Amino acid sequence: MSLIEVKGIRKSFGNNKVLDGINLSVNQGDVTAILGPSGSGKTTLLRCLNFLEKADGGILTFDGVDYDLGRIKHKEIAAIRKKTAFVFQSYELFSNMSALDNVMLGLTIGRGISKEEARKTAMEMLDKVGLSLQADQYPIQLSGGQQQRVAIARAIAMKPEIIYFDEPTSALDPELIGEVLTVIKNLASEGMTMLVVTHELNFARNVSNRVIFMEGGHILEENSSAEFFANPKEERTKEFLKNISSQHDV
Amino acid sequence: MSERIIGILTEGLGKMLLASIKVTIPLTIIGFACAMLIALIMAMVQYAKVPVLSQLSRLYIWVFRGTPLLVQLFLAFYGLPKLGIVLDAFPCAVIVFSLNEGAYCAETMRAALEAVPAGQVEAGYCIGLSYVQIMAKIVLPQAMRTAFPSLSNNLISMLKDTSLAAEITVADMFMAAQKIVGRTYEAFWLYAEVALIYLFYSTILTLIQRRLEKKLSAYNSREAAPGSRRLSNESD
Repeated sequence: MSLIEVKGIRKSFGNNKVLDGINLSVNQGDVTAILGPSGSGKTTLLRCLNFLEKADGGILTFDGVDYDLGRIKHKEIAAIRKKTAFVFQSYELFSNMSALDNVMLGLTIGRGISKEEARKTAMEMLDKVGLSLQADQYPIQLSGGQQQRVAIARAIAMKPEIIYFDEPTSALDPELIGEVLTVIKNLASEGMTMLVVTHELNFARNVSNRVIFMEGGHILEENSSAEFFANPKEERTKEFLKNISSQHDV
Repeated sequence: MSERIIGILTEGLGKMLLASIKVTIPLTIIGFACAMLIALIMAMVQYAKVPVLSQLSRLYIWVFRGTPLLVQLFLAFYGLPKLGIVLDAFPCAVIVFSLNEGAYCAETMRAALEAVPAGQVEAGYCIGLSYVQIMAKIVLPQAMRTAFPSLSNNLISMLKDTSLAAEITVADMFMAAQKIVGRTYEAFWLYAEVALIYLFYSTILTLIQRRLEKKLSAYNSREAAPGSRRLSNESD
């Protein structure tokens, strides 16, 4: 059974149709990469799924419960967000808190877990992303890669059923991309369900098991990642893959 | 300097310090505390775009920033009794200073709130916090850090502006100086003396500001803050 299923999700900014009736389903344990050129609606799709943008319409089925995205209620949003986590391109660690406090905040204030227990969980999570020694540092004292790993620790601390990643490595120095991707890869091997908007073809090829290619608010092609890279069906997909791969050859 | 002047200045110092402790400092502290409360409410109402209230808040700021403080004091103390509203001088001054200063601080705080990146709020929602929790734990602490230097400035100018309260019969430090000048005609020495006392108090505030700013800047600096665990670990 799929963990989430989206039917006909629509979103416009003014006259600009950003999502034009997209259908999508994600199974438990899937690592789905969403590829596509800028402006294709990838990020908007992810943001709509976590209600950072309000979709104009569509149905989201989460854990077997249907939600009408066009008229979702605050309570329903809160209920869904309890099961999801989001990792931002720009990390968005709370700049007024240490790494540890960043990871603890959702547990203590959000979930009402005791401080000692939250601290224990948070330290475990920081350890998992290799940053337990940096627990007391403020975000500004950390490198971009470290900040993003803390952001991932903050996400997994909430024990989500799915994590949405919005271009998690796009703001990073090339040298620092690897450490973040390794963390995501480890999560994949533990069976975490993830939906990852990315420009990293190698990540899509090697870590994700499914790939979605988007353009102009539509899904153009969708396949297992092995099939997607070995035998892209659409002309546009071939062109996109060729363009991106040739950049690496320059 | 003659012995007479030294005598006058010594007497003046005692009277002015006393007036400052009895009036100038309480007026500054109470007035500024109320101003901060007003400013916080006005800024939050605008930040959250609460309908009607945020327009009222704009109107309030427009009026109180657009008219002179001295005129506001006169209107409240000499004008309002004509409408049957009679206020004692000190409470009247507290109210006018709070409202006037509140208008300026509200703008400072609103700007500071809006300077907090939208992503910080989104990240708060994503870990399951409510709007109120996000404001309390993330947005306000960051905004206060941004607003702190400007608010300190406002406090220091308010301390000096309290001298205007003498014009509505509040027996503050400046009025104490005026009274002795009226008796001794030593305008230069006494007004210089009162100026120095204001300078003394502003300097204390500036020093406190600097110290607090350093403390607050912990998360804005790449260096570990003094006394933080990281630094003490390294020196172990």
